[in-house]
Amino acid sequence: MTIQQLKKLKVDEALNANVWDVDEEPHIKVDFSKCVECDTKPCVRLCPAGCFTLLDKEVLFSYEGCVECGTCRIVCPKDAVDWNYPLSGRGVQYRFG
Amino acid sequence: MKSRFDVIVVGAGPAGSTAAYTLAKKGFDVLVVERGRSPGSKTLYGGRVYAKPLKEIYPEFEKKAPIERWVKKERMTFMAEGGSLTLEYSSKTSTSFTAYLSKLSEWMASQAEEAGAVIVTDVRVDSFLKEDGRITGVRAGQDEVRAGVVIDAEGVNRLLLERLGWVPKLEKSQVALGLKETYRLGSEKIEERLGLGKKEGMAWFMIGSATGNIPGGAFLYTYQNTVALGIVVFLHKAVEHAQQHIFEYLEELRLSPPFSNLLKDGVLVEYGAHLTPELGLKLKPPRLYGDGFLIVGDAAGLLLNLGYTVRGVDFAAYSGYLAAQAIEKAGGDYSARSLSIYEDMLEESFIMRELRRHVRVSKLMENERFFTTYPELAFALAHRLFEFEETSPTFLEAFRETTKGRVSKLRLLLDMLEVARGP
Ligand SMILES: Cc1cc2nc3c(=O)[nH]c(=O)nc-3n(C[C@H](O)[C@H](O)[C@H](O)COP(=O)(O)OP(=O)(O)OC[C@H]3O[C@@H](n4cnc5c(N)ncnc54)[C@H](O)[C@@H]3O)c2cc1C
Ligand code: SF4
Ligand code: SF4
Repeated sequence: MTIQQLKKLKVDEALNANVWDVDEEPHIKVDFSKCVECDTKPCVRLCPAGCFTLLDKEVLFSYEGCVECGTCRIVCPKDAVDWNYPLSGRGVQYRFG
Repeated sequence: MKSRFDVIVVGAGPAGSTAAYTLAKKGFDVLVVERGRSPGSKTLYGGRVYAKPLKEIYPEFEKKAPIERWVKKERMTFMAEGGSLTLEYSSKTSTSFTAYLSKLSEWMASQAEEAGAVIVTDVRVDSFLKEDGRITGVRAGQDEVRAGVVIDAEGVNRLLLERLGWVPKLEKSQVALGLKETYRLGSEKIEERLGLGKKEGMAWFMIGSATGNIPGGAFLYTYQNTVALGIVVFLHKAVEHAQQHIFEYLEELRLSPPFSNLLKDGVLVEYGAHLTPELGLKLKPPRLYGDGFLIVGDAAGLLLNLGYTVRGVDFAAYSGYLAAQAIEKAGGDYSARSLSIYEDMLEESFIMRELRRHVRVSKLMENERFFTTYPELAFALAHRLFEFEETSPTFLEAFRETTKGRVSKLRLLLDMLEVARGP
């Protein structure tokens, strides 16, 4: 539980409020070889769950906080995102959607 | 489980469950397949639904549905760097209510189940079955289930229709991305801080710097004990303009007055995001029927974005309702030709009428000045009118001074005429 704070929350802190049942297998796979050639890297700024991060210019992806919105699939200019929904009900469990 | 049904519905959102409910009531043997653990667990939206279409479909809807508050107050705020200008509308009556889409979807699915539909959750459909050129069922992993007709209610991310080759891959210019935080505040604080009576709700829309430098809008909805605050940005504009992580834009809004005061002591109970079809008919496939299948709801691109409010849920539900009627009328012949009556029925209904009537709103929304220049202008004008030092300006003087350098008179005049022409 996060009481409304007068400083910015980090996206991970916000995601902590949610109920999850994380799949053991990633439902999204990224072909990182294509990321090397991608200069704008829109996934990093636009994935609302912050699943794409930059570490020394290298893109890292973790599927655990994914809210299954589909943004990365559409904004990726290199078709590097192999996207699917999690299997059998896994993933985010919205209660107040 | 049986391996054959009269109808299979993919997706238990408002569109799918309403189609299933209507068909089950007519005596059809219906299967609904939903990927979520329960219907509604994967859906997220803003917060307000227009009631009339739903009242027509579900008997005693107002009594039985999980309605949170009836919207009696509307606010529209033009936000600028230096401050904001707000219009407030209050009414004794109401035609729309707030509800959690998760709960409303769950309720609709329960109505379908009571009427006799079989609802299977936790199952992700991987593709349609296609035999001899027609859709004959669905495949999920190793399992295949067949039906006379399949209804696609999969929502905006149309993976199944894309795999079928029925629609091209979704493009960023066709959708907007919505982010939403929900805070538990308690009904007393909500009513006190917003001047609402018991069960009375507010729908609040913000434009301008609410979404920083990205064209879009922001919203606040009151539920019984919680308040949702969110932003919606045009995805292609966000790709172009976002200078920081998109969540930061929402956080900046939350920390700006009046929202920081309004949400004081609130507890964050959920954060989520979802895509929405952006501009009216842009996402509608050329045909919403084929041999053995029909398309409803967001998957069909049937959503009306008026800028200040979105009508998706009532449109989705009503398209499901019409699809069910079309299937009954088809009388067992589920060829494309026979199912085409669905599209005729849509054409005659309020759905297509409204979507066509408002095509110009969609055009207006492509005009970036409405998201940047004009909210800024509205604030600047009010600022000049109210916050003077010595010489109080006339309205005309204030108007002249504020428009100067911001936008040409001709541009402004043309844009205003565009708005004034109405739908
Ligand atoms: C930020 C935002 C704000 C909005 N605000 C409003 C508002 O205030 N008022 C309003 O009326 N509308 C609003 N809308 C629009 C509204 O949410 C949608 O129009 C509506 O939910 C569409 O209903 P649907 O049944 O077509 O699709 P969805 O509600 O998206 O339901 C689709 C269902 O199909 C399931 N599914 C998808 N693929 C599969 C598969 N392969 N196998 C099995 N199941 C699958 C999903 O899990 C989901 O349950 C908003 C949308 C967004 C994103
Ligand atoms: S947008 Fe696509 S290619 Fe570019 S960094 Fe992200 S995943 Fe890689
Ligand atoms: S689907 Fe949405 S939340 Fe999940 S990784 Fe892609 S952009 Fe992020």
